[in-house]
Amino acid sequence: MIKMEDIRKSYGPQDNRFEVLKGISLTVEDGDFLVLLGASGSGKSTLLNVASGLEYPDSGKILYDGEDIAALSDEERTRFRKEKTAFIFQQYYLLPHLNVEQNVKMGADLASNKDYRKTIEAVGLAEKRAKYPHELSGGEQQRVAVARALAKKPEVLFLDEPTGALDETTGRQVLDYIDRLQKELGFTIIMVTHNANIADMAKTVLRMNSGKIVEAWQNESQKTAYEIGW
Amino acid sequence: MRDVFKSAGIIIISFCAVFVCTLFLNYNIDLKSAEGLIFQEDAQYFYHAQIMTGKMVSALSGGCLLLTSAVMLCFYIGHYIDTHSKSLGILKAMGYSAGRLACSFAGFGLSVFTGTGLGYAGAHIIMPQFYKTQNKEGLLPEIHIHFHPALLLALVVLPTLAFCLLSVLYGRLRLKAPVLELLKGRSSSKIKVAKSTGTAKAGRELPFLQELRSSVLRQRKSLVFFIGFASFCYAAMMQMSFSMDELASRMMALMILLIGIVLSFVTLFLATTSAVKANWKTLAVMRALGYPDRECSSSVLGGYRLPACIGFALGTVYQYVLLQIAVTVVFRDVENMPEFHFDVPALVVALISFTALYELILHAYARKIRRMSIREVMLDED
Ligand SMILES: Nc1ncnc2c1ncn2[C@@H]1O[C@H](COP(=O)(O)OP(=O)(O)O)[C@@H](O)[C@H]1O
Ligand SMILES: [Mg+2]
Repeated sequence: MIKMEDIRKSYGPQDNRFEVLKGISLTVEDGDFLVLLGASGSGKSTLLNVASGLEYPDSGKILYDGEDIAALSDEERTRFRKEKTAFIFQQYYLLPHLNVEQNVKMGADLASNKDYRKTIEAVGLAEKRAKYPHELSGGEQQRVAVARALAKKPEVLFLDEPTGALDETTGRQVLDYIDRLQKELGFTIIMVTHNANIADMAKTVLRMNSGKIVEAWQNESQKTAYEIGW
Repeated sequence: MRDVFKSAGIIIISFCAVFVCTLFLNYNIDLKSAEGLIFQEDAQYFYHAQIMTGKMVSALSGGCLLLTSAVMLCFYIGHYIDTHSKSLGILKAMGYSAGRLACSFAGFGLSVFTGTGLGYAGAHIIMPQFYKTQNKEGLLPEIHIHFHPALLLALVVLPTLAFCLLSVLYGRLRLKAPVLELLKGRSSSKIKVAKSTGTAKAGRELPFLQELRSSVLRQRKSLVFFIGFASFCYAAMMQMSFSMDELASRMMALMILLIGIVLSFVTLFLATTSAVKANWKTLAVMRALGYPDRECSSSVLGGYRLPACIGFALGTVYQYVLLQIAVTVVFRDVENMPEFHFDVPALVVALISFTALYELILHAYARKIRRMSIREVMLDED
C-alpha cells in the first residue's frame, strides 16, 4: 500500500516560488490501477516523480508499506527504485545503440530475471528481438519499454503519458498489453494522462487541477483498451 | 564562452608544444652561431649533445603535441557539428553551401593561435633562465638571446594558418552530409551496431552492463584513442622525467613531467567528459530504473580501462626504447654518461598515480551522476 501525506513541492527562486503540488494526500491499494487525470501543467508528472522516488518533495511523507521514502538517502532510494518500481515514459527512452533484447535486459538484470525472453514474447516482439530501436515503430518501441519495465518485476509501475506520442491504434495496443499483463502479474499501476477516455480502464481515478486533487472516484467496472473511446 | 572552455584543450596543448619548441630551437640557433668559438674537445662534445637534445625534444614534443591538437581539433569540430546539427541543417536547407558554413569554422583556428602565441611569449619570458641552466658548467661561451622571426613564423603563424585550413576542410567534409540527415541529428544510419554474430551467438550471454560498456566503446572510437593516448603520454613522460633527472638536467625533467601531466590530464578530462555527456540520457534512464551511480559511471567509463592499460604499457616500452637509443647512439661519445637502466620505482610511481587518477575520475563522475536531476534530463528534449 502506498500512502502519501500532505506532499508539497515548489520550483523557482526564493522570491518567486511556484507551488506545483499544494498538499496532496492519497492512498493507493496494492494491485490498484490508478489513473491521474489533469490538464497539462497541473502537476501530474511532478506528483508521479515524487511518488516514485525520482524527486524529493519539499515536505510530506510517501509511505510504502509504512516506510517513508522521502526520508531515505539517495543510495537507499536507488535501491528502493531498483527493487520496487518501474517507469514508462512518453518518450520511450530506449538505448539507441542496443537491440530490443539488450534493452529489455537492462530491466531484467536489476531483478536477476533470466526469463526476459518471455517478457519480450508477452509484448508480441519475439520476432523483433534483434532489432534496434530506430528500426521499430513508435508503438513497438513503447512495447519494448513496457517489456523493459516489467522484466524488472516491479511492485509498482509508473507511467507518464505512455500513449502521448502514439496514434490511436498503436496506443490502444500498448495499453492493452499493459492492462493484460497487470491482470496476469498483479502489480500496481499509477498512470498519468490527459486523455479522459483512458480513465475508463482504471479502477481508481484522481483528477488534478493546479497542484491539488479535485476529484476522485472508483469505476464500478473497468473497460479494456479496445472498449474505451479515444 | 562554453566554446572557449571546450577548446581549452587545444590551447593548452599547442601552448606546450610551442613553448618547448621555441625554447630549444631558439637556443639551438643561438648556440649554432657560437659554434666557431668552441675549441676544447669536451666542450665540443657538450655542444653536439645539446644540439642533439634540442632537436630531439623539439621533434618529439612538437610533433607529438601538434598531431594531438590536430586530432583534437577534428574531434571538436565533429562534436560541434553533432551538437549543432539542427541549426546547421536549417542553414543548409536555406541554401547556405557547405563551403560557406565551413568557413565559419576557421574560428577554431583561433584557439590554436591563442595557444601558440602564448607559448611563444611564455618561452621568451623563461628563456634567460633556460639559457643559464643549459650552460651551468660554463663549458660554452656565453650565449646571447636573439630574436628569430623565422621561428615566430614557423611556430605561430604557420600552425595557425594550417589549423584554420584544417578546420575548414574537415568541416566541409562533415557538412557534405544531406540536409535531412543533419536535421535529424546524429542520424540513425550512423548508429554503429554490433556485428550480428555477437548477439546471435547463443549460449554466450553477457550481462546488460557489459553489453552497454562495449556498445559505448563502439560508438566513440576516437575516445578510445584519446584515453589510450593520455595514458601513453602519462606513462612515457612520467618515467622519462625520472630518468632525465639522472641523465640530463633537473630543468628538463621538470619540463617533461609538467608537459606529460598537463597533456594527459587535459586529454583524459576531455575524453571522459565527452563520453559522459554523450551518454547522459542513457545514464538518466539507468538512474530512473535504479542502477546505482557507481555502476552507471563504470558502464560508461569502465570500458576504457583496457585501452588505458594498453596505452600505459606502450608508453613504458616507448620511453625505455627511446632513452636506450638516445644513450647508446646519440650520446655515445659523451664521456661519463651515466648508465641507463630500466627504472622500476618510476614505473611503480607512474602506475599507481595513474590508476589513482583514473579511479578518481570514475568516482567524480559517479558523484555527478548521483546529483543529476533525472527530470531535467528527460525534459531536455531534442
Ligand atoms: N524543474 C522545474 N523547474 C521549474 N518549474 C517546473 C519544473 N518542473 C515542472 N515545473 C512546472 O511545474 C508545473 C507542473 O508541471 P508538470 O508536473 O510537468 O505538469 P503536467 O505533467 O501535469 O503537465 C508546470 O507549470 C511546470 O512549468
Ligand atoms: Mg507531464
